[in-house]
Amino acid sequence: MSSPSMDATIPDLVCQLDTVQGFVDALTSVRWKRHQDAVVELSEHGVVLIVEDTGCLQAKVYLQKELFVNYEYTAEARPRFGVSLGLLVDSLNTFSVPGHSSLIELRYPGPDMQLLLKSIDSLDACIYAEIRTRIPDTISSDFNFEPAGTTPLSFTVKSAALKEAIDDLEWPGSSIKITVQPTPPSVTFRGEGHGDLQIDFMYYANTDLLAAFSCDREVSHRYKYKFLRATTSSIPSSVVKDNRGSKVTVGRGGILKVQHLVSVARPAHSHIDSAGYQPPSRIAYIEFFVKPEEVDDD
Amino acid sequence: MKFKAFLTENGVTLLERRFIPAFEKMGKICHVYLTRDHIFFLHNLLTNDGVQSIAQFRKDALFSEYRISSQNEDRIAFSLDLSLLLRALRSAAAISSAVDRLQIKLVKKLPPSSTNPMPFLSFETKGYASAVIQDIPISKPLSRAQLLELQTALDDAQDLPRTLVGVSELDRLSNFVERMKQLGDVMGVEIGKNGELGLKVSSSLVTLGAEFKRLMIVGEDSEESNNGDGGMSVLVSMKHFVKCLQCLLAKPDCAFYGVGSHGGSLTVVFQFFVPGSRQTDKSISFHCRLPVLDPGS
Repeated sequence: MSSPSMDATIPDLVCQLDTVQGFVDALTSVRWKRHQDAVVELSEHGVVLIVEDTGCLQAKVYLQKELFVNYEYTAEARPRFGVSLGLLVDSLNTFSVPGHSSLIELRYPGPDMQLLLKSIDSLDACIYAEIRTRIPDTISSDFNFEPAGTTPLSFTVKSAALKEAIDDLEWPGSSIKITVQPTPPSVTFRGEGHGDLQIDFMYYANTDLLAAFSCDREVSHRYKYKFLRATTSSIPSSVVKDNRGSKVTVGRGGILKVQHLVSVARPAHSHIDSAGYQPPSRIAYIEFFVKPEEVDDD
Repeated sequence: MKFKAFLTENGVTLLERRFIPAFEKMGKICHVYLTRDHIFFLHNLLTNDGVQSIAQFRKDALFSEYRISSQNEDRIAFSLDLSLLLRALRSAAAISSAVDRLQIKLVKKLPPSSTNPMPFLSFETKGYASAVIQDIPISKPLSRAQLLELQTALDDAQDLPRTLVGVSELDRLSNFVERMKQLGDVMGVEIGKNGELGLKVSSSLVTLGAEFKRLMIVGEDSEESNNGDGGMSVLVSMKHFVKCLQCLLAKPDCAFYGVGSHGGSLTVVFQFFVPGSRQTDKSISFHCRLPVLDPGS
């Protein structure tokens, strides 16, 4: 039997995870099209996966080392490698057995610089995957997200509501203007294309909808619909089920930052109390950066 | 040529809920072969490509009264459309209130607007207040020569591998293969002499595999059947492998994998327990043979 042969040299990273579905959920949330190349960065703090689209959209998945059962990082410089996101998710998915939590070992690099995955929870059955990696050819463009002023321009909205609003804006399509204004405190999404559609999130109208709101002056920027849509198109169902919120921040130059929290905790162990509280260590952070279409300096 | 029998309640359940749904997934048309003691459902035995499947029932596993006669040693074979058979069984099962009163017989009838009598398999269900007759069109019964050919093919197909390894976690296997199939068209199957089953699919970017260890071993692990490292390894079509897993609809308790003599085929033998026991039900046998691909191609 040809089990993946382990090289004698010490790998940069050996880690174990017991929540495959959670990792699949987290990685899936940045899948907005079929073929996507991702860059993976390993460090002593954890694993970061970055995907980009035409320099206008960037997404990052932060998998802190606390999410892993065991995390042994031995590299000196932070290793980076490229991998097909779809392949990585599909391979990981193979390990997830409904109603059965499996322990998986992740190892990089293999003898041929592969990413090696292997199930280690059973002595009698073992699933393994060897994923070819490549040298990341593009240096991920720096989105340089900086606050737009002294007061951060941000709001936190129910992830489900944000997704629904963006899905609805598909009809006018093309470009979407997002306006954040302090009086009355509200967020407006406006699409003008085949028709006009405007969606308002009023801070006082529905306290459940906007959980937080911070804005001292009106700003408004236009974003390409397809990029905006990518930020919520693959939000895993667990996010909606857990009733989580997403934080949206407008940075200098109108760069939009959208942050989601994806729970990677094992369902059997995830105890959610009435306040929806979960230990932060079992949550993966997802960040999207969207560049505006044109700079609308106010 | 005469055939008349009564399907038992158990027989109806076996066919309607388990075997015919599984068989239908493997292919639309199958051969039904009736002998004095056995009933066979056969897929692809007379063609040399595709998955061959062979289900064999002892007559008392399905029927209560069983009468067959033909000039060919009381053997009759024909092919039929499985979806029609399944439909007839389903409605018969739904109507039937009296146990053991589902009669099946071979008839020749004049179809509407035709002058040639055609063969049918006729299902007669006697309900509480009504009787329903359903006729399923079947092929002309096989000639003596064709039947001989079928019997020869069947004899060949009964040749089981020397060593078989048994997987009882069938859901897990099928779950895994279901995901694996996205990645490639060719499945590598490795049977180890110490009870290992290895499955592997490779593309230019990823290799995905599973190894099951310490499985039940049936048969001898004679040196002759082993190559250098003590295992047998073959390549089969992913499509065939997935198709073969459709047999799980027949709810087997275990599946044994083995490589046929000379590495010519991958054989999967399904095992059924007598309900409520761990004893093999000898009245039912079911196995598939998958053609092996040439590693060069």
